Amino acid sequence: MFPEVAQCLKTAAPLFSQAVLLKDLRRLSAHGGARCLQARRHFGVSRCLTAKVPPTPKPREKVEIPGLEMVTYGERMHYVPGLAKPTYPPWEKDYKDPRHYKAPPTHEMPLYKEKPCYVYNQRTSALEGVRQALWLTKTKLISGLPPQLLSLAEDPANQIPDQDERVQNAIKHARFWDTTEQRPGKEKYSNTLLFNLLHLCATLQPSHPAIGRRILAENYSLAATWKRGEDLFQIRGQNGLLNNCMDPLPEVSGKQEVGDTADHVLETFYPVSPTIDLQKVHVYKEDVNSSGFREGYPYPHAHTLYFLEGADARCKLRPEQFRAKMVMFTFGNALARAHQLYGSEPQRVLDRPITVQAVGTNGRFFQFLVFQLNTTDLSGDDGVKNQLWLDEDVTLYDFAKVRPLIKKKQVKVPAGLAGYKPETFSKFLALYLHGAV
Amino acid sequence: MAARTRLPLLFPKNLPPFRNQKPVHTEAAVKEPAYPPIVPSLTAKSKSARRRQVEEQVQKICASSVEEKLSLITRIQRKKFVVYPQTFARNADRWYQHFTKTAYIPGLPEKFTLDPEKTRGEEEEESSPPAAAQTTVPGIDDEAFADIRSLVTRVILQEHWHMKKHKPFLFREQEQMVAPLLRNLVTGLTHSLAKYNPLLLHSSLDINPQVNFYWRRGERIIPKGHRRGRLEPTRFQIDDHPHSQIRITQQLPQFTTLEASYTAEVPEVTLAPNLMPLFRRQYDNNIFTGAKLPDPACYGHTQFHLVPDQYHRDRMARQQKSDQVEVFLRANGLTSLFAWTGAQAMYQGFWNHEDVTRPFVSQAVITDGQYFSFFCYQLNTVALSVETDTNNPRKNLLWGTESLRLYDSVQDGTVVGLNDGVIKLLVQFLTNQP
Repeated sequence: MFPEVAQCLKTAAPLFSQAVLLKDLRRLSAHGGARCLQARRHFGVSRCLTAKVPPTPKPREKVEIPGLEMVTYGERMHYVPGLAKPTYPPWEKDYKDPRHYKAPPTHEMPLYKEKPCYVYNQRTSALEGVRQALWLTKTKLISGLPPQLLSLAEDPANQIPDQDERVQNAIKHARFWDTTEQRPGKEKYSNTLLFNLLHLCATLQPSHPAIGRRILAENYSLAATWKRGEDLFQIRGQNGLLNNCMDPLPEVSGKQEVGDTADHVLETFYPVSPTIDLQKVHVYKEDVNSSGFREGYPYPHAHTLYFLEGADARCKLRPEQFRAKMVMFTFGNALARAHQLYGSEPQRVLDRPITVQAVGTNGRFFQFLVFQLNTTDLSGDDGVKNQLWLDEDVTLYDFAKVRPLIKKKQVKVPAGLAGYKPETFSKFLALYLHGAV
Repeated sequence: MAARTRLPLLFPKNLPPFRNQKPVHTEAAVKEPAYPPIVPSLTAKSKSARRRQVEEQVQKICASSVEEKLSLITRIQRKKFVVYPQTFARNADRWYQHFTKTAYIPGLPEKFTLDPEKTRGEEEEESSPPAAAQTTVPGIDDEAFADIRSLVTRVILQEHWHMKKHKPFLFREQEQMVAPLLRNLVTGLTHSLAKYNPLLLHSSLDINPQVNFYWRRGERIIPKGHRRGRLEPTRFQIDDHPHSQIRITQQLPQFTTLEASYTAEVPEVTLAPNLMPLFRRQYDNNIFTGAKLPDPACYGHTQFHLVPDQYHRDRMARQQKSDQVEVFLRANGLTSLFAWTGAQAMYQGFWNHEDVTRPFVSQAVITDGQYFSFFCYQLNTVALSVETDTNNPRKNLLWGTESLRLYDSVQDGTVVGLNDGVIKLLVQFLTNQP
């Protein structure tokens, strides 16, 4: 019986130890970190794997005696025990092979600079959110939209016929009717909703012909540079949908208010540095200022930026960080335009402040933003500041459910669209029509 | 003995006259049938029972609401041929015409005056006064047309000249360069022409929608398996993803009458569909116009399609398939429009056994950025399966153009060789209204 048991155990042992092997390997590699599963071969099946690994022996130090020629097996073309390993001079290709290119180290690159530059790109998640964006762009925040836009929203001449019904149809199309399945995914419905709302707003073109002087641009790359205190900042990246216009947006606040902002003190958040979460680079081009388009573009003025939360699958921003991104890129567009008009020298007060708007959405919540660039002199904390009107977390509707929410045999939320708020679309339309009325 | 006696008195030969004759000027009393009608059984294992089951199912579908009709028709999943609108198969348009019972008519209906100045070479041959008169579209004055022309120029220049872009990756060129151009063109033209076409004011513009259609056509005898020897209808499914489409709340008027399609010719293909090549799969049968049933914009206006990189004419020329370029465009227009109009008809309750009472009409524009082809489709019949098709003289109609060049090239910030005829056709397509 014993030899049979032993035989059973022996046959069972490899299987058992294979499982143990794999489990231990997985545990070890997870614990150890970077080592892959195949790094160490284990031929012994009965030994334990969690024992302390002996340290790798240091290779023998090769002693170079000048004048002494080592006898190598290089000429013999095969290994010979006792002879030294031949060393050859390093060979570099004399032609350029794009598939095998080794970049030089950072400090040897032609654009290397000692002074670092802090870059804000489309995947930056700023820790302090809007406060950090305000400090970086030297801006004063005013919550709520400016009164001109609110009055524009309430004006009946600027409304679409059957507005409520059509907006509700647009929401239902985006949330329910756009797919053969039960409900479309979040990314799809937020995209469809934005385009449906834009289409609705654009149907006002027969009565407001200035809307025809606009065009949408997607996947354009923005670049702008500015100095703040001692540090150099740049903003770069493809950020969202841009509505470009042939005519500039009118100013939102007059010269008096602009002058009053000089008294405002920017909010700091010591001990957190304002450059936190920004990408620090030593290799950069100085003074890049590009709105994404060449000269002679018939639509040079940025009108509205549309940001979608689900646009980048790799980068999920929380609401505060999303708003900060909106602020930074609106500022970036305005700054690029200001540099184009007034040159790269910092200007204390711009004669004509540049206004850019932004709308951000995740399919249900909307953030509205109006930015006015009053100064490009951002190095000091004093002087005229830029202005920002922000209306955050405005819901367009409360619930859009395919199946009703029933708790304890009572319908809490009915199926379909519930809690529609018409004011949100009026604000959206007002931002769209701003400058075209 | 008693059985053989004659009984003359019981059966007199001369019965009293006039008894059997009915009185005149009265109707026969309607007799209620004493027994229910004699119909074949429903559950027996016989051919007549199977026939009766099919009839009962057809009547059940006819009697239900549109949603239930769609779900009953698409309920059972079976192996079906998946028809791809953009296909590499050779001479796909003839096959697809046979599957969808469509006749191809080169050129466009009389509604859309095709501008004779297709190429710049022909322009010199044309005399100048008729050429100048034909650049205007009925209903749109010269100024508005000039505005539209400049809009088209600016859209082309934005994508090709003004916007700074990286060099496109392999097979991503159309997506990077042409898709935004087409989107801006569609939105720009729709919103500018909304003034002239009030339908567009209430329209719904979909970007990257989905269009599906499921139908049956033809039969085959199952060659092998436990159902060998039996007849099986061939099922088809189209899953199309146009670049964009415009859906409207009212139906477009027909191009020709239903009866005019009786004389049209549809090519017959006697070979089995899988020789095309066409492959069978089994998954959800979908019938979808781009939005579900409750959407008010349930009729179609225009679809826009983008030619993918794999079927770009330069690549086809390198593979010595230049003759297939037009075939590809026709097949694409045919299947996409058939699926769209078919789905629209089914949303109105018409199906295989209840044929359409009015024709369904839609349009499509297929482009690769520089070359544009225009197609118009009129759906006259949805009854394509074997039972309903034998006595059906109606045929579906497809009108289409060859590919026309919109512009020659973009050089130094200007568009060289902009073709007004193509812009005119685009405008005519978008201002089509009842």
